Amino acid sequence: MPQTLSTREANLFRTVIRHYEDKQYKRGLKAAEQILKKNPKHGDTMSMKALIMNAQGKTEEAFALAKDALTIDMKSHICWHVYGILYRTNKNFDEAIKAYKFALKLEPESVQIQRDLAVLQVQMRDYQGYVQSRFAMLKARPQVRQNWTALAIAYHLDGNLSQAENILTTYEKSVTSAPSKTDYENSEAVLYKNSIIAEVGDIERALTHLESDAKNSLDRLAVMELRARYLAELGRKEEAAKAYRALVERNSERPEYYKRLVDVLDIPEGDEAVLKAVYDEYAAKNPRCDAAKRLPLDFLTGDNFRAAAKAYLNLMFDKGVPSTFANLKHLYSDQYKRDIMPILAEEYLEERKSNQVANGDSSKGAGAALYFLAQHYNYHMSRDLAKASSYVDKAVELDPKNTDFHMTRARIYKHQDDTQKASEAMDHARSLDTRDRYINSKAAKYQLRNNENEKALATMGLFTRAETVGGPLADLIDMQCIWFLTEDGEAWQRRGNVGMALKRLHTIFNIFDIWQEDQFDFHSFSLRKGQVRAYIDLIRWEDQLRDHPFYFRAALDAVKLYIEMYDKPQGANGVNGIDGKTTNGEDAAEKKKAAKKAKKEAQKAEREAAEKAAKQDPNKPSAQKTKDVEDTKKKDDDPTGLRLAGTTDPLADAMKFLGHMLQFSPKNIEGQIAGFEVFIRKKKYLQALRCLKAAMTLDKDHPTVQEQITKLQKALDPILDTLPPKVQEVISLEFTPAVAKA
Amino acid sequence: MADRQPPNVVEGATTGADVEDEMEPVAKSAEDRKAAAALSKLDTHGDDDAAAPARGVDQEAVLNAMNALGGGAKGADDKKKQEALKKVKVDAADVALLVDELELSKAKATEMLKAHDGDAVKALRAFVAPAF
Repeated sequence: MPQTLSTREANLFRTVIRHYEDKQYKRGLKAAEQILKKNPKHGDTMSMKALIMNAQGKTEEAFALAKDALTIDMKSHICWHVYGILYRTNKNFDEAIKAYKFALKLEPESVQIQRDLAVLQVQMRDYQGYVQSRFAMLKARPQVRQNWTALAIAYHLDGNLSQAENILTTYEKSVTSAPSKTDYENSEAVLYKNSIIAEVGDIERALTHLESDAKNSLDRLAVMELRARYLAELGRKEEAAKAYRALVERNSERPEYYKRLVDVLDIPEGDEAVLKAVYDEYAAKNPRCDAAKRLPLDFLTGDNFRAAAKAYLNLMFDKGVPSTFANLKHLYSDQYKRDIMPILAEEYLEERKSNQVANGDSSKGAGAALYFLAQHYNYHMSRDLAKASSYVDKAVELDPKNTDFHMTRARIYKHQDDTQKASEAMDHARSLDTRDRYINSKAAKYQLRNNENEKALATMGLFTRAETVGGPLADLIDMQCIWFLTEDGEAWQRRGNVGMALKRLHTIFNIFDIWQEDQFDFHSFSLRKGQVRAYIDLIRWEDQLRDHPFYFRAALDAVKLYIEMYDKPQGANGVNGIDGKTTNGEDAAEKKKAAKKAKKEAQKAEREAAEKAAKQDPNKPSAQKTKDVEDTKKKDDDPTGLRLAGTTDPLADAMKFLGHMLQFSPKNIEGQIAGFEVFIRKKKYLQALRCLKAAMTLDKDHPTVQEQITKLQKALDPILDTLPPKVQEVISLEFTPAVAKA
Repeated sequence: MADRQPPNVVEGATTGADVEDEMEPVAKSAEDRKAAAALSKLDTHGDDDAAAPARGVDQEAVLNAMNALGGGAKGADDKKKQEALKKVKVDAADVALLVDELELSKAKATEMLKAHDGDAVKALRAFVAPAF
């Protein structure tokens, strides 16, 4: 039953809402208390109170109160809505959707609830639900274009392309006046429709549509690119060539344009001269253009290559382009090209010996060639570290103050496995240019490779924001500096500090979670801005987020660490933050000491925090209060990862990382191998078999894979009869023949 | 978060508008209404009314088009497929087996079984086979 309030209280209730909106939580609470004094069982007020408490960071109490409110007033959409909001702020989106749906049932007219629900549905990829929500929203307000576009997007994401196009067309037909030429929303919507037509595969129609409807689109480049692509796909090569030439004229540095231009030119296979002529034309037209000179090196062979490479190298050395080697190493998969590069660089040195052009700048001329040679012999496909050293020495001799030269020297040390020297050399390079963030980061990375975590953090601290609470590390986490966190975690792992290593790896995991959540705002924002095509790209990118190599690396580290922890359970004292590589008596004692120290420190920090909290004036203005709330939210209650390292079920924790890893990077054999190790320890033989079969498909001669086959056989032999009959059957059907083949 | 959000993005969570809009039917004082109007202009979540037809839209045509669309129904093909799936009988013991062995949710396990005609061995074999 709806509970009614007296006029006075109803007014008070509105103040509660207003205070909540203005983030004046204390006042809001006060007003809510006033109502509750007279009507202690008023569900809506209780819900609002819960909402305010949640905003103050008292999540658990808020949930309890909201639940009470619901039991009192089951039929109130406010109560259900608040419940949904609570779930949403705590990232439990599935439950939030349920609560919103209930609220909507009670109050089908609420635009607000409907909109929130729709956003949640698309966030959770419930596309069918999203279609329904969007349809309801369109029905409520068909005069707004956004609602039409949104419904089309919903159908599009749900895979119903023809309906998506149909929706867009329907709207276009219902418009009476022609859209203005500067209408950005219209321009984007038309191109969006075009992309849908192309996605269906009807290129002919996409081209027609593009040439008629999207001709005046504001995104000229997109129209040009699409048109060229469609023409090429339709085999209208002459027109396509013309279109691609127009694109090259517009931007002569984009390799893709050249490649596609060449594709439609029908050049006979292996005719390098004609091919090169295409590039030469643009190189002549744009003397400063790099792509037209660099790209031919990819396909030229023999003497043609030699001549072109020589010209290119000479130009680059004369100019002193530091990235020359990085730009050319892709050619090294070709033996001939790999061998000829150093010869050309040597020739250059010989020729320049007589006429010094360096005029004081060591990065040009001879210096550049020596630098190139040092990198050449340092590269893994053409490695000769002694030679690399001698070239870098010569380069340094030429100019002892050049950062790049010293940096290469450090890399050579690294490849000699002397991390100590490498770290020192890189730090020396850093000292030559303390305002260069790149070399600063490099120095920190080399320090981490040498297990100098504290030093590396100090180095990074030279470039982080000074005023960040929590110091450089907090800033690096805020800035989502994943490479640093990974390297730092791996260094801690090498030092045997499992807690810190896990801490960093979990931080990386959380950063990917944040990226996932970041899209939340864009469901409505992109629509409002009319940037629909970019939005679709975003959604598709988010769906593949965790196939990122950064994620894979961190996840693999974590899984391996957890397997190690499972195999070597720690002593009964329950402190396994510090894990020595060897477990002799001395180490154990040290471990205990270190753990004790860490515990003490943690307690001290806790005490300090408590004192700080106690000192706070309870009657502070609300602005200060909200800031405090933020601070407490940010505070890390396990800064050294002791709790993470103290897990009782490492395999379950490993699953958190492993699931995504296997789902998004199934073709990485390292991941499958690690997955097998987890599953066989969990005695989930079918899942282990799945990883094993995947690994066998990827590379059945991999030594670890062979080992794992035996391992699984050995594990299964004694217990096969005890497994459920259907599992036995699957194993005999899938495992036995696979082994026979291997 | 690395970058500042565009100023007019409202953070997804507990924005004031959540409840504010909901309350609108209740009459407010004139001052309140003014404030609310100002608020909804600031808060771009409350977009639709402000963005209302900037160009001529043929209301009638839109409504007709709406009706022609029909209740957001799925394509006929999909429906048939789904109904066919619904009819597949699934043994509870098989669901339990899949849940235990593959560590899936019950719903997922049921879905998997249904996709393989309720045959647990078939479903498990498909699971074990590399997906690429």
